[in-house]
Amino acid sequence: MKAILITFDQAYYERIVTMLEKNNCRGFTAWQQVQGRGSSDGEPHYGSHAWPSLASAIITMVEDSRVERILSILHEMDVATPKLGLRAFTWNIEQTI
Amino acid sequence: MSLYASAVKRPIMTTLCFVAVAILGLFSLSTLPIDLYPDIETNTIMVMTSYSGASAQDIEQNVTRPLENALNSVNDLKHITSKSRENISVITLEFEYGKDIDVLTNDVRDKLDMVKSSLPDNAENPIIFKFSTDMIPIVLLSVQASESMPGLYKILDDAVANPLARISGVGSVSISGAPKREIHVYIDPARLEAYGLSVETISSIIAAENRNIPGGSFDIGSDTYSLRVQGEFTSSDEMKNIVVGSVNGANVYLSDVARIDDSLEERAQQTYNDGKKGAMIVIQKQSGANSVEISNKVLKMLPSLQKRLPSDVKLGVIVDTSDNIRNTINSLVETVLYALLFVIIVVFGFLGRWRATLIIVITIPISLIASFIYLAITGNTLNIVSLSALSISIGMVVDDAIVVLENVTTHIERGSDPKQAAVHGTNEVAVSVIASTLTLIAVFFPLTLVTGMTGVLFRQLGWMVTIMMIISTVCALSLTPMLCSQLLRKDNKHGRIYRIFFTPINRGLDAFDNGYAWLLTKVVSHKTVTILVCMLIFIGSVSFVRYVGTEFFPTADDGRLGVNLELPIGTRVEISQEVTDRLVKEWRQKYPEIMVLNYTTGQASSDNTFASLSDNGPHIVSMNIRLTDPGDRDRKITEIAALMREDLKNYPEFSKYQVNVGGNRGSSMGGQATVDFEIYGYDFNETDSVARQLQRALEKIKGTADIRISRSEYQPEYQVDFDREKLALYGLNLQTAATYLRNRINGSLASQFREDGEEYDIKVMYSPEHRTAISDIENILIYTPSGGSVRVKDVGKVVERFTPPTIERKDRERIITVSTVVNGVPMSQVVEESQKAIDQMHIPVGVNIQLAGSFEDQQDSFRDLLTLAVLIVILVYIVMAAQFESYTYPAIIMTSLLFAFSGVFIILYLSGHTLNVMSMIGAIMLIGIVVKNGIVLIDYISLNRERGLSIRSAVILGGKSRLRPVVMTTLTTILGMVPMAVGTGQGAEMWRPMGTAVIGGLTFSTILTLLFVPALYCIFAYVGVKRARKSNRKNIQKQPK
Repeated sequence: MKAILITFDQAYYERIVTMLEKNNCRGFTAWQQVQGRGSSDGEPHYGSHAWPSLASAIITMVEDSRVERILSILHEMDVATPKLGLRAFTWNIEQTI
Repeated sequence: MSLYASAVKRPIMTTLCFVAVAILGLFSLSTLPIDLYPDIETNTIMVMTSYSGASAQDIEQNVTRPLENALNSVNDLKHITSKSRENISVITLEFEYGKDIDVLTNDVRDKLDMVKSSLPDNAENPIIFKFSTDMIPIVLLSVQASESMPGLYKILDDAVANPLARISGVGSVSISGAPKREIHVYIDPARLEAYGLSVETISSIIAAENRNIPGGSFDIGSDTYSLRVQGEFTSSDEMKNIVVGSVNGANVYLSDVARIDDSLEERAQQTYNDGKKGAMIVIQKQSGANSVEISNKVLKMLPSLQKRLPSDVKLGVIVDTSDNIRNTINSLVETVLYALLFVIIVVFGFLGRWRATLIIVITIPISLIASFIYLAITGNTLNIVSLSALSISIGMVVDDAIVVLENVTTHIERGSDPKQAAVHGTNEVAVSVIASTLTLIAVFFPLTLVTGMTGVLFRQLGWMVTIMMIISTVCALSLTPMLCSQLLRKDNKHGRIYRIFFTPINRGLDAFDNGYAWLLTKVVSHKTVTILVCMLIFIGSVSFVRYVGTEFFPTADDGRLGVNLELPIGTRVEISQEVTDRLVKEWRQKYPEIMVLNYTTGQASSDNTFASLSDNGPHIVSMNIRLTDPGDRDRKITEIAALMREDLKNYPEFSKYQVNVGGNRGSSMGGQATVDFEIYGYDFNETDSVARQLQRALEKIKGTADIRISRSEYQPEYQVDFDREKLALYGLNLQTAATYLRNRINGSLASQFREDGEEYDIKVMYSPEHRTAISDIENILIYTPSGGSVRVKDVGKVVERFTPPTIERKDRERIITVSTVVNGVPMSQVVEESQKAIDQMHIPVGVNIQLAGSFEDQQDSFRDLLTLAVLIVILVYIVMAAQFESYTYPAIIMTSLLFAFSGVFIILYLSGHTLNVMSMIGAIMLIGIVVKNGIVLIDYISLNRERGLSIRSAVILGGKSRLRPVVMTTLTTILGMVPMAVGTGQGAEMWRPMGTAVIGGLTFSTILTLLFVPALYCIFAYVGVKRARKSNRKNIQKQPK
């Protein structure tokens, strides 16, 4: 099992949830409105007067075998619309209940 | 869930909601009546008290003054004016506009009840009379007749007036110019005396003979019969054989002492239509009824009425007020449609996409149609004000939608799905959209609070625009995002036609952007110079203020002229008619623009309500002229009126003349403005001489015409001074003696002759040849109670006198009004010049001169509007300060107001318009419109700074990127006003100054705002930065090492 944290521009939200479903990832936790900014470039997502856009975040635990596939789909999305901003990070899950 | 998110999620619901609004709106539109102005409630009450036998001065002392003193304490009273004439006192109470007239009427009634007991015993009870705009006739019909002239009254009464009066909404139909049938018993005084009879005896005998008397009922056998005596005359000839007395056992018949003349009333108004004798039918509406509807019904009925008339009687239309209303409304509707077209073109030109244009433009009909619902619910009409509100709003309702669409497009271009883009894009701008709408509402909502005359007019404008703005914002936050999500595409492919058309447009716009950015770099580097130059331009433009005249309302060209002519008092009606006939022939030849010309002269009978309301008499001629439509002639109505006044100078026969544009003099809207000088003072001679002095002074001033002194000429008349002692000697009193005189000259109403269900008066009087000389009066025989008789000359003297004129009072002081029409020059100029003249005049102590008329109304309205402007500026500042959370930014933005006002003055000067209520309203609207540009600019510049840009680049980049939205919204507003400003249709004179003012102010202020505001922003921002650095430095120094 691996955890994938996906942070992205709000506009991606529905597309990502659909994508997860298609790839048999039933469980996920989402934060509809989060703020943040990329390490190198891209517009900050602060929901403020200067930077009105907002980001969302989804964390999902998937089987190791699916991680590669999901990340590649996410990367495709990011490349298609680079101005929106989408990042994903994975790490191992030690234990679950 | 937010409004826009649910709207995007549920497109069907959203669409249907707006469809429902549109259907309701269109339904409301179909029920809306058409009128010229919003309902102006009456604000005057008249109190009439008659006290027969009293002279003007007696009336003033004993009736008018006590009444005035009591009525003066009624609430909300603005002015109290009175006219004390022989026999009657007429007090007019003028109240503030917008008060409930019914409540006021009750107050007036209460006050009258209190004071009634202190009035003279013989004075009748005061009558309260509410005057309103409903009294103005809505249709005047002309009737031409030749052979049917003698019976015209009955023909018209049966075949025209009665059917017309049955139309629902028609108040009264009066016929003037057609004399009524009257049966005269012309007495020969010599024969009467020979038989020892008197007019009174004959009169009472006729009354006693002309009777039907029921005798009760009686039974014969099994039946009951009623008994009657049928004595009424069946023909006037029967009267000849009435026995009026007997002398030496022989019967004296009426034909022995009198001549029966079955003809028309002696003194009646005569009406001439296009030079032919005829009559005039005056139609008034019931209060609250719709003029256009009624006049439509009346006009529809005319052909069928015409059929029932004898072939020589022709009906025609002299004045149809609804004609003007319809034309005005039509030309305004045209204006609205043109504005719509222009706005669509601008939006399309800037956006270059059909779908985007559609999304924006659809908010226009929806907001506009929704406002009809408001009109229908509040019972208002489609009128000049509500339609101008539509025209004004067209350019503004799209602004919100444009902002939303633009941001959604940016999101889509960044890669969002249209649906997501619609929600998030709208979310980002929702607050600023609402804020900018609030600034506009801050301008228009206070308009609903204005009081007075202007308030009545602009309350509707305020509500309409406020409602349309709110609807357009709701639309921009729900319908626009929904349509964006449905109609906009992620990747836009443009066709060939697009490339052909829009490549040059886009290139042009880009060059424009770059040019502006270049200019901005210069401006930012030379801030002080920019500000100095702008301020110099502002100060320079302020000097135009001196050259822009002021007036109350522009003169509207409704193609109607009213001409009042007065010959020297006492002139016989035949003479008046003959002179007027000459004048008419001359005018007919000189002015081919005249379509219909009709005039009336002579004494109006007392049962003609319309005629008796206006001045009438044998020496007075009132003329109605209808000109062709303004579009069909080269000369303006004011030019024609001026030429006519010149012509009248060549007629020495007329002692006074007036040419009134729009039919009525000094009416608050539409007519030519008047300046009234009120001369207060008790002494008749002093005030008379001041009035004449003033008249001479005014005549020398350029731009005055038709100068009129309100106090009528001293009237020459014969009076019989009875010697009371001698009267008493014969056992007579003054009343008996005076009645004798009246019965012989004016006639005594004996009875009524009935025929075909109509009643005609039978009057007994001296035959005309026996009342032509003073001796005829002197020889009138008065019978004493003791059976003797005495001649008038034995108990009194017949003398010729000049009676004191009508005594006019205003606010409980005697007054004369000298009024002049302002023609060709601004009113302010005439006022200024005349003020100088008055200063040079010698005015006795106790006499003072005050300005009134349109000038007073103008001063009141201007004061109201200025207060309003201040209130609006404060409100707008509050809204902006709240939005920016800053005191400085709004102040910077507010500077664009200065340029807006200079723009208004410059364009008014260049276009030759004056500063009047309409252009003032335009200037007030500008407060809301011009700050919007500043808001957009400052908002984006401060956003850039928050994003970390330097002040300089924030200003330049911000300016460059906001140029297009600013220019676009400005252009939609300006082009939306262009049809108003250049309109030539009927009534266009009214709103032309408003459109012009908005265009000038907006253009000028936009150009200067785009340079001045960034420069000012830089200065303030640098000061802010310096201050921040200073305090930082202090903080660092304070920190312990």
